[in-house]
Amino acid sequence: MPLEKILHIEDDESIRVIVDMALVDISGYTLVSCASGQDAINQVEQYTPNLILLDAMMPGMDGLQTLIELRKKSSYQQIPVVFMTARIQQSEQQEYLDAGAVAVIEKPFDPMSLGNQLATIYQTFITAADNHSSE
Amino acid sequence: MQKPVKPKTEQQRLSALFNTGLLDTEPEPRFDRLTHLAQLCLGTEIVLVSLIDSDRQWFKSRQGLDACETHRDISFCGHTILGDEIFEIPDAVVDNRFTDNPLVLDAPFIRFYAGVPLSINGANIGTLCFIDSKPRQFTDKERQIAEQFAKSIEQEIVDRLQEQAHSELLESDKMYRLVLEGTQIGTWQWNVQTGETVLNERWAEIIGYQLEELTPISLDTWLTKVHPDDLTLSEQSLQDHFSGSTTFYDIECRMKHKHGHYVWVRARGKVVSYSKDGKPLMICGTHADITTQKVNELALKQSRDQLYKLTQELPGVVYQFQSWPDGRSAFPFASSGIEAIYGVTPEEVRLDASTAFNRIYLEDLEAIAHSIELSSQNLSVWELEYRVHSNDNALKWLSGSATPERMPDGSTLWHGYIQDITQTKEHYLKLEELNIQLGIAQQSLDLASEQAQIGYWQASLKQGTLWWSPIIYQIFGLNEQDFSPSVSLFKRAIHPDDVAKVEKSEDQARVTGIHNVVHRIIRPNGEVRWVHELGQLVSEDKNPELIMIGSVQDITDRMKLQKIKDDFISTVSHELRTPLTSIFGSLTLLQSGKLAALPEKAQKLIDIASSNCQQLSRLINDLLDIEKLAAGKMSFEMKPSHIMPLLQRALKDHQPYADLHHISLTLQVNQPMDELLLFVDEHRLLQILTNFLSNAVKFSPQGESVTLSATLMDEQIEIAVQDQGSGIPDDFKGKIFERFSQADASSSKAKGGTGLGLALCKELIQAMNGSIGYQSEPGSGARFYVRLPIMK
Repeated sequence: MPLEKILHIEDDESIRVIVDMALVDISGYTLVSCASGQDAINQVEQYTPNLILLDAMMPGMDGLQTLIELRKKSSYQQIPVVFMTARIQQSEQQEYLDAGAVAVIEKPFDPMSLGNQLATIYQTFITAADNHSSE
Repeated sequence: MQKPVKPKTEQQRLSALFNTGLLDTEPEPRFDRLTHLAQLCLGTEIVLVSLIDSDRQWFKSRQGLDACETHRDISFCGHTILGDEIFEIPDAVVDNRFTDNPLVLDAPFIRFYAGVPLSINGANIGTLCFIDSKPRQFTDKERQIAEQFAKSIEQEIVDRLQEQAHSELLESDKMYRLVLEGTQIGTWQWNVQTGETVLNERWAEIIGYQLEELTPISLDTWLTKVHPDDLTLSEQSLQDHFSGSTTFYDIECRMKHKHGHYVWVRARGKVVSYSKDGKPLMICGTHADITTQKVNELALKQSRDQLYKLTQELPGVVYQFQSWPDGRSAFPFASSGIEAIYGVTPEEVRLDASTAFNRIYLEDLEAIAHSIELSSQNLSVWELEYRVHSNDNALKWLSGSATPERMPDGSTLWHGYIQDITQTKEHYLKLEELNIQLGIAQQSLDLASEQAQIGYWQASLKQGTLWWSPIIYQIFGLNEQDFSPSVSLFKRAIHPDDVAKVEKSEDQARVTGIHNVVHRIIRPNGEVRWVHELGQLVSEDKNPELIMIGSVQDITDRMKLQKIKDDFISTVSHELRTPLTSIFGSLTLLQSGKLAALPEKAQKLIDIASSNCQQLSRLINDLLDIEKLAAGKMSFEMKPSHIMPLLQRALKDHQPYADLHHISLTLQVNQPMDELLLFVDEHRLLQILTNFLSNAVKFSPQGESVTLSATLMDEQIEIAVQDQGSGIPDDFKGKIFERFSQADASSSKAKGGTGLGLALCKELIQAMNGSIGYQSEPGSGARFYVRLPIMK
């Protein structure tokens, strides 16, 4: 199953605009953008993405808390989550992976290749999940 | 009446008489038989043996008379001894020499007298006399008989003397024998001419034998038992005695005992008779066992010698010092060491000590006088340290000690020892000074360590002992009085999460000798503190006790600051990156031309903005990396990696950038390296190569080439990037790997460097056990390289 629908959660509006252009205009995905974790949780009933791109540092509910809340929704339990962070310390990145993220993308990112990057991450995840379920 | 005169030789005569020993002795039959026989033969009433003493005549034998003596003045015999012939008075009454003699007038009423002188050794000691109360005259025959009797009496006197001498000899012989036996003295006799030898039992006993065991006795018996080394001495003494220069043959010699050891014997002898031609004939002598005496003597001599030697060997002086109440003093004995101590000879001070006292340092003289007086009064040990002038007038320190003893004449005699302690004293004074300095240093250290909150400790790995300075207790929140330092006490204080880290450092210390770790401790009140422990094992050759010394510094405050800094950097990096992300994203999207076509000039401006944006991003990354490295927070994922794929990837990643600058990239290896493995963090190695390559591209003129090469050298591999640029300016060479260093301020603007790249490369490669360097010849470009060990 190819990657089609993405949920992006990011408090910084400029980055939301750039990601929107990179994924919709350049790569042609369906994208729903949320300005906070709470927004995203409110969206859950209407939208079920193939992948969630989640900013780590947000005021109020941060990336990790948002992940925990989203995972509480049954429809969201299996959706791969990719974190995006301006913090490049490995200990922090490991924290996200430990919490269930499938990948961490560092800021600043290259908007031209972001779509491909996510597609690759998604395919790897799907393959691993298939292998896992077929076992 | 005529008194008899005394003969000229009276003295001699009397002495001869006394020597007979006859006076006042009991009557003896040998004389009485003869006088009785004479009385019968010649028919006189009285016969006497009369001895003429100085004032009397005393009768040794008398026939027909009761009186035993009369006065010499009235004696007839006194006259007789004046001549050598028979003295005869036919009738005393008519002889006017005797008419009124009381012996004539009164009993025994002498009328006839005939006396024959008794001569012993030529002296007339008395008479044999015949007396009658009727006048008479001897016939010739009668005179002859009288004379023969006198001769017989003389013979008896001589015989008696000899018998007496003989019996005395026997007595003394017996006595001497008893003495000899009592004194355990052996005897010997030797006939010098025949060699015949006689020894007694004791002679044999001295050397452990029964006499019969030694038979046949000959001179050889002696010759075989005496120590061969003592024979010459014996021969010499014998010749000296034979020649008359000594009264006795007298030697001390060793003789072999039956049991094999030697005993000391004093042999003494004297020639007692000579042959007719004057040669020594018999020599008699004694042997006395003097072994004990000799051994004692030798031991005494030896111990005296030893003592003497010892006293001479001693660095100081062994002495006796005597002081009299009248103020005199002397050194009755001093070993030769006194010369070194007082600069005087033992002889110079034997009777007067003042020359030695002149050497004493004036300031110490009073103390000496006082101490001597005190010691003398209380008979207490004298002990003092004082100074004297040495020969070169320098001062030396002496230390003396002596025990006093009161002498019968009221003086005091000390036995003691004085030594030169100048060096010791100087060392001591120096030590005292050092101690003071040390005290000051210790105080400064304590003060400094308190202010810096650094405690120090010392541990003996061998003894298992541990010592803490007071600050350590303070850091650990312990009361110095309640705890003694121990390894377990320290271990209990370590934060549980840091125990492994501390143990790792300790393990490392056993190998490297350096213990260096930052960790947390928990005080008894639960407070968590950060400490920096630094320890060093003192190098082993100078450190038999395996002493480890170290410090503990409370760095809690520093760690808090560190935390603030870390948080700040983390925040800053986030706060910088977030807008950067927007700018970079926007520019990239615009630059791509996929969203909107731009006029050429706008495109140019967008390119510039994008390029600067990337540089800003790199700067932030480098800055964070450097901080991480400095804080030891950079983690490396070290793993075995093939070298060729890494090089190819580095080249491939830079191809677009090189193309942009019209630079060609080439890869060069000096031999196939497909099998070679490095133990590195691939990502970090790539980071280094990226830095090298982008620099090389940046600084090479367009159209030139940049070469990435790998060269195998022994155990290492050198990975280098060679460019064709202008090389590195000389004034920049020394600081090329320093942070924020660039050849000139303009170059960063022109080439877009951060000035952190090479500094970061250096820290990264060192963290991976490699080294970094460069070569640069003016005009031939620069060559940067790293060297890494190959895995085997």
